[in-house]
Amino acid sequence: MEIIKNPQIDFLGKAKYFVALSALLIGAGIFWIASGHLRYGVEFSGGTQIIAQFKDTPDVDKIRDAVARVSPGSVIQTYGDAKANKVLVRISQEASESDLDAPERAVRQALADSYGKNPVLESSSEIVGPVVGAELRQKAVLLTVLGLLFQLIYIAWRFKGGIWGTGATIAAFHDVLVCLAFLAFFNFEITLNVIAALLTLVGYSVNDTIVIFDRVRENLLHRRKEPMAKLLNDSLNQTLTRTLISNGTTFLAVLGLFLFGGEVLRGFGFAMVVGIVVGTYSTLFIAVPMVDWWYSRGGGSGKVVRAA
Amino acid sequence: MPPALQNPLTLWLLLTAALAGLAYAFVRQDLRWRAIVYGSVLIACGVAVWPPYEREGEPGKIHLGLDLRGGIHLVLQVVVEDALNQTTDDAVTTARDQAGRKGIQIGPVARLSPTAFTVDGVEPARVKDMRDLLRDFFRNGWEVKESGEGKFTVEMTELYQRQLRSQTVQEAIRTLERRVNVLGVAEPVIAAQGARGDQILVQLPGVTDVEQAKRIIKTTAQLSLKLVETSAASQETLLAATGGKVPDNQEVLSGPGSTPGEPVHYLVRKEALITGRDLKSARVGVDENNRPQINFALNATATDKFSRETARNINRQLAIVLDGTVYSAPVIQSKLGSDNRITGRFSTQEADELSKILKAGALPASLKYLQQLTVGASLGRDSIRDGVRASAAAMAFITIFMLVYYRLSGLNAIVALAANLLIVLAAMAYFGATLTLPGIAGIILTVGVGVDTNVLVFERIREELRHGKTVRAAVQNGFDRVWITILDTHATALIAAAFLFQFGTGPIKGFAVTLVIGLIANVFASYFVSKFLFEWVLGGRHYEKLSI
Repeated sequence: MEIIKNPQIDFLGKAKYFVALSALLIGAGIFWIASGHLRYGVEFSGGTQIIAQFKDTPDVDKIRDAVARVSPGSVIQTYGDAKANKVLVRISQEASESDLDAPERAVRQALADSYGKNPVLESSSEIVGPVVGAELRQKAVLLTVLGLLFQLIYIAWRFKGGIWGTGATIAAFHDVLVCLAFLAFFNFEITLNVIAALLTLVGYSVNDTIVIFDRVRENLLHRRKEPMAKLLNDSLNQTLTRTLISNGTTFLAVLGLFLFGGEVLRGFGFAMVVGIVVGTYSTLFIAVPMVDWWYSRGGGSGKVVRAA
Repeated sequence: MPPALQNPLTLWLLLTAALAGLAYAFVRQDLRWRAIVYGSVLIACGVAVWPPYEREGEPGKIHLGLDLRGGIHLVLQVVVEDALNQTTDDAVTTARDQAGRKGIQIGPVARLSPTAFTVDGVEPARVKDMRDLLRDFFRNGWEVKESGEGKFTVEMTELYQRQLRSQTVQEAIRTLERRVNVLGVAEPVIAAQGARGDQILVQLPGVTDVEQAKRIIKTTAQLSLKLVETSAASQETLLAATGGKVPDNQEVLSGPGSTPGEPVHYLVRKEALITGRDLKSARVGVDENNRPQINFALNATATDKFSRETARNINRQLAIVLDGTVYSAPVIQSKLGSDNRITGRFSTQEADELSKILKAGALPASLKYLQQLTVGASLGRDSIRDGVRASAAAMAFITIFMLVYYRLSGLNAIVALAANLLIVLAAMAYFGATLTLPGIAGIILTVGVGVDTNVLVFERIREELRHGKTVRAAVQNGFDRVWITILDTHATALIAAAFLFQFGTGPIKGFAVTLVIGLIANVFASYFVSKFLFEWVLGGRHYEKLSI
């Protein structure tokens, strides 16, 4: 069984439309995020989040009234499966380091006082002081950038040319931006798990690009005289089936995560699902066209990558 | 299981021997060694991971993270300045005492900052003596500077400050370890973290009483016994005799009086007769009125000093100070010995906790909470269920797809995937890594990457077949050509995972761990084991077609 028999698609010729599409998506994403639409989880913003499991079906309005008495502006919503009787309370007050769980205690007391007939059986809570939140935000950005940089260096070293590393890295960075845009469009919170997904995505996207670069490297061995553009396009076509199958199966795996992983992994799963699709797309329409663009302008002339 | 087989090493050797026998019978000679080596690695993994979860009272080999089994995760900050202040205060006392002993007249000695103090008004004739004295006593870790006529500034060196900081954090960690033992938690984690190294991570899996755990962890439990100069109902009357100022070597403390709501203030000597470090033991007892009290015993050296000092100060009050509060201030009636007590208005539970904390030792500095995460046990179980369900769905998708698309070769890929999973779990069990919910996601991704390796190889084999190669040559070329690709893709993915690993502790670290192990395991399983399987199944015979 084969998906496409001997594909001959002109990827490079159509690249400009896709670059425009990407620019549009990222631009819209940046605009949307800059206008304050990216939500941060408690790990990053600091604050208190309680997930409480009630004895009977909780009445969200009554809970909202009770919580509003001590902490107006808090967000209350049902959490996960409706039958699980779980409610998420995101407390609006800042958690101060002098008495970290004061807001949580106040809310619990308020619930016990005004909604006592449906007691909380069990709960999980996450309280993050402002110091940790700020440290974590910095660390997330720093690690993503450093991760990309080191991959760039590795690829540049392996392929004996900065453009290969740059192409793969820009494609991965593009993926992170598009993914963030989608997370913002679909109102997902940026949690630690989502950051983990984004960092994994960086690895996965570069991984995908390398497979194709590697093919180019191999083709260069016995087709030195042909123009780079043709080599690149042929390599894309030769690896197309693999690209589709591999990413298709990984897509199915993360789709399983997104659909069945429960509330905790929902954001992670979403970021991965989007990421796998975008990662494949960026390899075809961002990374390889960048290399083509570089060589067509005379960059790297005389230098040809050799197989390691 | 017979006892001999309970030793994992014996079990592994036995199973490997059995495997060697099978390999001798069914595998041709040129593949035999590989069969035995690969097989024994997988058997070792199987032995290492069994039993994976708790069964029949035997603990499981896979440690579940807090997010899966419930518990408490705290990040605390050690207020290192406390310890620096304390050290500088001690130095101030030493400087003053030594000057007195040498008969040098000096003015005030005062702490300037947490790490420096000044000596002022040294009588001009003896400035040299004072300089020698300071240089002598503060030779290590301090720097003595003359900052004017008869004035000295003594400052801690950077190196000493750093040492003190890390010492304080280490001591706090040891104290917390002893205290957590009191709580009886299995597999607690207590470790330094943070960029400046002054944060402590405390993970208490399975603990549900957050309030109790936090009380036990956070109480500084700084016990000190101090001589009282005077006591009064208000601070003004207290300081009337000294002209409204607190003398240099004294301090004002307060504590509950005999009538509730009316605290008593005490003017006490700064220097403590006895501190928490002098304790030999502490336990709960009851007083004459059957109220709970804390009995404590001093060690031998402290007992000597205590006896001497109490004999000299009969009829004076002795304040028993715990974390800055005077619990009681009994009058010394006679020379005291090793065994003493703290009375006060404790509840039985308070007295019990306090005595345990006293026994575990005082914290060298106070702590601040930076982060607190609690997970209810049943919510953790929900997460396990979700994780298992998602994994099962992902595996099912992949298995069906591989079998439909690659037919019998797909079976090979699935065997490789299973081997990959086994290695990941075994490595986690062996290194004591914890499995978190993101960790489960990491395993699923590992499966994705594993499939990619197989797809790369299989597509390459198909390509070689299209070019008219024989089955055997196609398989050989497929694996050979793909090797470099696999090396590069795995190296870059490892770089990304290594940065993830830096992302502190907790669930994300669990994710990075599974990813790293998974990548390495994948090279073994999806490349080497898979290649072996091809060669073994194809055998020495000639095939016209390959089921791929």
